[in-house]
Amino acid sequence: MPSFAPFFVSGLATAATYVLAAVGIVVLYRASGVVNFAQGAVGALAAFISWTIVQHGGPDVVGWIAGVLAAVAFSLFYGRVLAPRLAYSDPVMRAVATLSFALILVGFIDYVWGELPRKLKLPTDTDGFEWLGVRVTYTRAVAMGIAVAATVAIMAFLAKSRIGLQMRALANNRDLSAMLGVRVLRADACAWAISGALAGVSGILLGDLQRLGGIALTFAVIPSIAAAVFGRFVSLPATVAGGLAIGVCEALLTPVPVIGPFRTALPFLFAVLAMLWMQRRAAYVYR
Amino acid sequence: MNANGGINGGQIKYDMLDDGWNPEQSSQDAAKLINDEKAVALVGNMSFVDCGANQGIYEKSDIMVVGGVGVPRDCYFQKNYVTTNAGPRVSNTKTLMYIAQQNPGKIKRFVCIAMNIPNVGEWSCEGAGGWIRSQGGESKVILFDPSSLDATSLVLQAMEFKPDVISIDLPKGLAVPLFAAAEEQGLIEKLHWMGPASLYNPTFPPAISKAWDGRVWVDMELNDAASTKPDNANWLAVMDKYATKDLPRDTFAQAGYLAARVVSETLLKMDPAKIDRASVTAALRGVKRFDSDMFCSPWYIGDEPRHNPNHNGPVSLVKDGKLKPLDVCIDSEDPELGDVHAYEKTIGITK
Repeated sequence: MPSFAPFFVSGLATAATYVLAAVGIVVLYRASGVVNFAQGAVGALAAFISWTIVQHGGPDVVGWIAGVLAAVAFSLFYGRVLAPRLAYSDPVMRAVATLSFALILVGFIDYVWGELPRKLKLPTDTDGFEWLGVRVTYTRAVAMGIAVAATVAIMAFLAKSRIGLQMRALANNRDLSAMLGVRVLRADACAWAISGALAGVSGILLGDLQRLGGIALTFAVIPSIAAAVFGRFVSLPATVAGGLAIGVCEALLTPVPVIGPFRTALPFLFAVLAMLWMQRRAAYVYR
Repeated sequence: MNANGGINGGQIKYDMLDDGWNPEQSSQDAAKLINDEKAVALVGNMSFVDCGANQGIYEKSDIMVVGGVGVPRDCYFQKNYVTTNAGPRVSNTKTLMYIAQQNPGKIKRFVCIAMNIPNVGEWSCEGAGGWIRSQGGESKVILFDPSSLDATSLVLQAMEFKPDVISIDLPKGLAVPLFAAAEEQGLIEKLHWMGPASLYNPTFPPAISKAWDGRVWVDMELNDAASTKPDNANWLAVMDKYATKDLPRDTFAQAGYLAARVVSETLLKMDPAKIDRASVTAALRGVKRFDSDMFCSPWYIGDEPRHNPNHNGPVSLVKDGKLKPLDVCIDSEDPELGDVHAYEKTIGITK
C-alpha cells in the first residue's frame, strides 16, 4: 500500500494553478456569458514572454510583470475587439470562438518558440521546507497563497465594488442591466482583464512548476474548466473546491495500479459527475 | 547525391511527407509513394506511426524501407523495415549496462518512466528491465499520459521503488520537468539518472540546471556527432551545405544520413538498366555488412524476418552544459535480441 501523503502535498500546487485559472473563467462567464477556452493559451503566452525576457538577461520581476501584462492585453483584445461581435450569438458559438483564439495562440507560440526543451525558473524554486516527506519549494507555497488571496480578493471585489455589482448585474440580465445604465463594455473589459491577469499568473506558475510547452499549458485549461463546471460557472467557493479536488485527486491516483496512467481523465469524470448532480433537480421537477 | 551525378546519371527524387502522427495519413503517404510515384525504396523514414500502419503495404509491395529513426516496436519486428538507429529499447539497455559496469555490484533496482503509448512506452523500458532481472535485480516501469502535468508525483512514485537508477525514457521536452522535479526533491545525488538517445541533443543540458553536471548518462545510438572521422565529417559537410543552420546536428540527423548512404552505395553498385523495386529490394537484403565510423560495429540488413542491426554504441555524460561522449561501445544484452545475435553469427558479423 503506497503512502498517499507525499502525493497529496505534490498535488496541492498543481491544484492551486487550476484554481487560479478556474476563478478567471468563472468571473468572466458571470460578467460576459463566455466560457473562455483560451485561458490556458493566454497563460502559456505569459509564461513564454516571461521566459524570453529572463533568458535575455532581463530582471525576473520585469519578466513576470511583462508576462501578466501581455496576458491582460491579449485577453482584452479578444474581449473588446472580437467578443462583442459575437455577443448575441449562441453561447456554444461564443465558447467555440475562444477555442479558435486558443488555437491561433498555440500556433503563434509554436511559430515563435517551437517545442525545444525549456525551463522557466523562479527565484523561489531553490528554497523550501519539508512537509509529509515532500520538499515544498516556496514557489509551491506562493502558488497556494496566490490562489487563496486572488479568490478572496475577487469575491470581495464582486461583493463590495461598484463595478463588481455591475458585473453581477450583467450576469443576471445583460439587456436589462444595459437599460438601467450599466456600462456593459466597461464591466466586460474589467472581467476580461481580471481573467487575463489570472491566466497570466497561472501560466507562469505552471510553466515553472510543470512544463513550459505551448500545447501542454494551453490544454491545462481542461481541469480548470472542469472546476468551473463544478462551481456551475457561478459559485467561486465551489469552483475553488473543484479545482483543489481535481488537482489533489489527480496526484493521489498516481501510485494506484492500472488507473494511475489514465489519471488525466479525472477532470472529465469530475465534470460529468458534477453535471449529473446538477441535472438531479431538473429531472425531479420534470417527473 | 544529385549534385554529384545521382545514381549513375539517374536523379534521386527527394520527397518528404508529413503524416502528422496520423496512421491513416501515413498509409495514404505510403500508398502515394509506392503506387503513384513508383518508388523503388523508401529512405530515412522517421515517424511514430509509419511502422505499425504500413507494415502490410510494405510487405505486399515488397518494398524495402531503410528508415532513419524507428521508435515503436513495430519498426524492429518486420521483414521490410530496417533502421540505422538503435531504438529506445536498445538505447535504455546500453545505458543501464554502462552505469552497472561503472558501479559493480551496486545497481540492483531500476525504474523506467515512459509514455503510455502502445508498443513504445513499456516495450522501450523492458530491454533494460529484462537485463537487470537477468543480473538478479528488479525493475519497474511507470507509464503516464504525456498530457499529465504533475512531474513531482511521477518522481515520488518512482522513488517508492527505492531505485538505484531511473531512466527518463521520454522526448526531451517532456523529460526536462521530471529532472526539475527530481532536483526540487533533492534526489540528484541519491541515485543514478539516465535517458535514451531522445535526450542526446545539445538543447537538453542547458535546459536542466547545472546541478546535474556529471550526474546524467544519455545514450547516443551512433558515434560522437562532432567527430572528425571521415564519414561523420562528410555528414557534417553535407549538413552545412544543404541544411539550414537551425537544424540539429544530432543522432537522428546522423541516422538519416546513414540510411541514405547505405541505399545510395547499394544503388551505385547496380546496373542502371536493371533498377526496379524487386531488384533494389533484393540488393538491399543483400547488404550483409556496412562499415562506418559512425557505427560502433558493422551494420547490415540481411534477409531475416526482422531487423535490429544497431545494438552496439556509445553513451554520453552531461558535463559543463554539454553532452560529453564517452569513449566506449556498449553492446546491448537485451534478452530479446537473441535471434539478432544468432543471425549475425551466420553472416560473420560476430563470432
